[in-house]
Amino acid sequence: MVQPEQADARQPVLAVRDITKTYGGVRALSDVSLELMPGEVHCLAGENGCGKSTLIKIISGAERPDRGEIVIDGVAHPAMDPAGAIRSGIQVIYQDFSLFPNLTVAENITLTSAVADGKRLYSAAALRPAADRIVAELGLDLDLDADVERLTVADRQLTAICRALVHEARVIIMDEPTTALTHSEVARLFALVERLRDRGVALVFVSHKLDEVLEVSQRVTILRSGRHVVTAAAGELSPAAIAHHMTGREINEERVVSALPIDAPTVLDVRELNLAGAFEDVTFSLRRGEILGVTGLLGSGRTEIAEALFGITRPDSGTVHVDGAPLTGHRIEDAVRAGIGYVPEDRLTQGLFLEKSIADNIIAGSLDRHRSRSRLLDRARVRSTIQSLFERLKVKAPNTRAVVRSLSGGNAQRVVIAKWLATQPKVLMLNGPTVGVDVGSKAEILEILRNEAERGMGVIVISDDAPELVSCCHRVLIVRRGRIVHELAGDDVTVSRIQDRMAA
Amino acid sequence: MTSKTDDRTATPMEGIDDRYQSLLRRVHVDRTTGRMLLLTVLTFGLFAALNPRVFLNPLNLQNIAVAAPEIGVLAIAMMLAMLTGGIDLSLVAIANLSAITISMTYTAVAKDDPGLAESLMPLLALEGVLVGVAAGAVNGLLVSRVGITPILATLGTMQVFNGIAVAWTGGSTLYGLPQSLADLGMSTVGGVPVLFLVFLLVAVATGLFVARTPAGLRAQLQGANPVAAKFSGIESSSVLMRTYTVAGALGGLAGVLFIARNPTASADYGASYVLLVIVIAVLGGTNPAGGFATVAGVVLATLTLQVLASGFTAMRLSAYEYAIAQGVILIVVMVTDQVRWRRRRGPRRSAPSDAAVPPNSHQTLNSGRQS
Repeated sequence: MVQPEQADARQPVLAVRDITKTYGGVRALSDVSLELMPGEVHCLAGENGCGKSTLIKIISGAERPDRGEIVIDGVAHPAMDPAGAIRSGIQVIYQDFSLFPNLTVAENITLTSAVADGKRLYSAAALRPAADRIVAELGLDLDLDADVERLTVADRQLTAICRALVHEARVIIMDEPTTALTHSEVARLFALVERLRDRGVALVFVSHKLDEVLEVSQRVTILRSGRHVVTAAAGELSPAAIAHHMTGREINEERVVSALPIDAPTVLDVRELNLAGAFEDVTFSLRRGEILGVTGLLGSGRTEIAEALFGITRPDSGTVHVDGAPLTGHRIEDAVRAGIGYVPEDRLTQGLFLEKSIADNIIAGSLDRHRSRSRLLDRARVRSTIQSLFERLKVKAPNTRAVVRSLSGGNAQRVVIAKWLATQPKVLMLNGPTVGVDVGSKAEILEILRNEAERGMGVIVISDDAPELVSCCHRVLIVRRGRIVHELAGDDVTVSRIQDRMAA
Repeated sequence: MTSKTDDRTATPMEGIDDRYQSLLRRVHVDRTTGRMLLLTVLTFGLFAALNPRVFLNPLNLQNIAVAAPEIGVLAIAMMLAMLTGGIDLSLVAIANLSAITISMTYTAVAKDDPGLAESLMPLLALEGVLVGVAAGAVNGLLVSRVGITPILATLGTMQVFNGIAVAWTGGSTLYGLPQSLADLGMSTVGGVPVLFLVFLLVAVATGLFVARTPAGLRAQLQGANPVAAKFSGIESSSVLMRTYTVAGALGGLAGVLFIARNPTASADYGASYVLLVIVIAVLGGTNPAGGFATVAGVVLATLTLQVLASGFTAMRLSAYEYAIAQGVILIVVMVTDQVRWRRRRGPRRSAPSDAAVPPNSHQTLNSGRQS
């Protein structure tokens, strides 16, 4: 038992002291300490594998620490258990939100607390007022009767936050809360965060989006390789300093774009592409060696345009030419045959065969290219394609037979990119190429795109990460309500211009 | 490029010479097949020890080798359907329809010209396989174009094919078939029954298809993650169409084996085979959720189950007790795979963000880096 010293607001609502956790000989955390004050937003930052997930699991009771203690309201515990953590007011909102897609918002908000209270019968009518109250208190515009599967990512997140508050949460830990949100949704989330702070809730943001981290947090704690590096007031750390603390090295986010030859031929030409309800009159072209950014808010049509070009949806009208030849057919196979590749936003379900080896994933899109005359796969050529891409993209894994599930976000993304490079595409579209990728890997992935563009490929980067677009794109198209409303080129490509035009 | 995985090679071995690694890979049989081989030998040893006089009798061993092929070919067909994440319940009904069609055609031709009917043997066998192709194509259409869940689509076609067979034969057993086909069912090459050689040929061809052809790899990928397959430009409808058609063709071939061995055809032959071939496919390392399968494992599992059946007979146990044993095996295999999966995945819960993705397979999951 720790004696409450000054029994006032300055007592941390939650503290962990000297936590050490080892997994089979590998130290995930060494002597990590963290204090959370009521009404504080505390950012927990670090690259993938730095131990932040482990620390959250220990706080939420999913894992037991080997050493150290967890102090809640001055009472020290050697370890938490999940039910105890919830009773103590600790709530974790994971990236996937753990919602029931087929239930309504109201049901999702109240169901788990009804279960936690040991209610044997569920009554929607009895629980509805609780959901109403939370939504009203937070001043949210959330349709309680909508099925969660129909909600936008941002609204699902709000649902998860409401659910946490029904449990009387005093500490809310959010894993990557902003990665799936657009600029304006992030602003809405941060407004809500301020209201939560007024209620005395302490929030922990686990993130690697640096600019946003600084905007909303009071304090920042950075972990690296399982060790505590620094805890400081957010204002005292520059983005460069944070990146440096996270990676242990200098990260360059400068704008680096090659000079395009004046006579670089057009590789993709899109004319008056229309799809009712998604986008209209989309016209643009892409030159060989060029990296073109496409940005806009979620639902602006940025993703829909890419999906139509890739044959996932069928546009109502318009023409697409790849290297001068018209794109015929509107299936994915047709797009791939024409030389278009697409790295989807949802890497885990759409991009990767998680249980398959790196080798199988890399070759998945180009099987027919590796057929010998006997109609069997030409194993020697398959092996050399896989090995050369594995080395060219510097995938960090013991060998190409490692299962993709074991890879970090950045390495998994390299595998998806390798799959498309194996098809030798003329145009590669990437949707959110560095979502869920740590800072160090992010710079390297952008460097990969620059290199591949220089080999003569046209690259389209769809993203709402303005610094990323500035860092690598020759031009940036801004999409609003299904239309391309601005085109920025050359020195006009700046973070502030992109953000202004996007949200306008 | 196969679905083979192997713990040892996946652990970090940066320091080890590449050539040593490839040697290791070639010598080291993959885990599932290795486990299966051990099980086959143990089962054989058990019954050989319990009742050597009956069990080790050459006639009994010959019987195993003659009875295994039809089941083995059906199990390989089941494995293909499971590889894409589906199942084919209609296989036994297709096999019976194939056998019945052969017998009916023979009888019809033999009524006018017995000599001609006899000489048509190869064409009749081909006819049986084509019946399978047609039936498999129906399954393929339902699953790939219409988009019906495989288990329901093939449950429906199983009833239809079976119903056609019963209505056509009036429920009676047919005896008409070319003598040369019946002779083939009894002949041996170097002591090995011809039927068994057919089985091995099918196994080798399917093994090549799955691991070495673009179409086979597409089937694996389709089963491993249909969404990612679509996003990789793999046309799922053609993959499924092809797989169910090939499975149907193998079902038709199994019908040829049925009639060659017995030598009769009837609508209700092999009623217990549906469960049996599912047990064999899963025991042989096929992941029922799709994406992973090895033909070698399925061949060994076929032999194990056949040895078990023959051993039960040698021990004077009934067919019902054999049915119980099949069910127990299926459940034990699933349980051990689940346990193994949990133990392997357990220590890796520290993995970042993507650990939240739910598991969808169990079999050849390679956890690799536990150390």
